[in-house]
Amino acid sequence: MRSLLLAAVLSFPALAHAGDIAVTEARVALAPPGARTLAAYMVVANAGAAPRALAGVRAEGFAMAHLHHSMEKDGVAMMAAMDQIEIAPGGSVAFAPGGLHVMLMGPRKALAVGNEVVLTLIFADGAEIAVTAPVERIDAGS
Amino acid sequence: MIRLLAALLLAAAPAAAQVQGVLLDDPVEMPSFALDGTATTRFSDADLQGRWTLVMFGYNSCPDVCPFTMQNLEAAWSETSLRVRPDNIPQVVFVSVDPERDRETVADYAVFFHPDFLGVTGRQEDIDRLVEASDSFYRLMPPDSSGYYEVQHSSSVLVIAPDGTLRAKLQPPFDPGRTAEFLSMLQIQYRREMIQ
Ligand SMILES: [Cu+2]
Repeated sequence: MRSLLLAAVLSFPALAHAGDIAVTEARVALAPPGARTLAAYMVVANAGAAPRALAGVRAEGFAMAHLHHSMEKDGVAMMAAMDQIEIAPGGSVAFAPGGLHVMLMGPRKALAVGNEVVLTLIFADGAEIAVTAPVERIDAGS
Repeated sequence: MIRLLAALLLAAAPAAAQVQGVLLDDPVEMPSFALDGTATTRFSDADLQGRWTLVMFGYNSCPDVCPFTMQNLEAAWSETSLRVRPDNIPQVVFVSVDPERDRETVADYAVFFHPDFLGVTGRQEDIDRLVEASDSFYRLMPPDSSGYYEVQHSSSVLVIAPDGTLRAKLQPPFDPGRTAEFLSMLQIQYRREMIQ
């Protein structure tokens, strides 16, 4: 219980707000050995009356970051880059394991649990939101 | 018998008919192959004999799907371990289809998900024999400007019986309860078949 509470407190900085957009549950998955790329997950909610579109992302400490979507086609697992991700008014988009993810490429140093990555979400209208994502070990079902 | 098992599986999960595995019509012989992880971890066709084996294909640089699959497989495997006889607990083997990049890391990669998991890779011809015999698939994609490349690969997991033949394939998302159910039914069917 104590570690659960601690985790909740530690992940508090992962909440970011900018106007009608709120980002919650931002986290970077602890990479298994051999990983050259990492994945970040979050929930982006649009409380505004107009649709918004996520158009890109920057990540401190990485050479590149892309909006990606994992999918399965005819029993084959693959990934595709997303140019834009629409978020409807009052809606939200969840980045979660096995689906949408921020693909973090070329880490400048190895990351451990407890490290933080600053992600800057870039919207199609030019707005930017910075969010701090802690590195976590992500288990099945979380 | 195969049809009967399929019927039982459907009856077991009437509400959510989410299929966790596909039974092969006939057992498929596996070819001879020799793969390894560290100097002491080896995995060859001889290791298929006398125990159940689950084989997943993937690559270590995969940021999202491979860890997700391994975690789900770990949960399903743990659930299965609670339900089946200890000698029927399957050996989980992660086979990297990207030996160029993963040779040094593949053993640690598998252990990251569970200490009992085996991670191996090897020569392309050995990997290809296993991939082809199991009607699986992988493809190294063209590298980007930094030299990084993605790998597309089959998402299903091979279920190999103690006689060394491929019997079924598990399908993502490997729901723990349903996957354990599927595997224990498959094992019961296999034991009956061996007695006949
Ligand atoms: Cu990706």
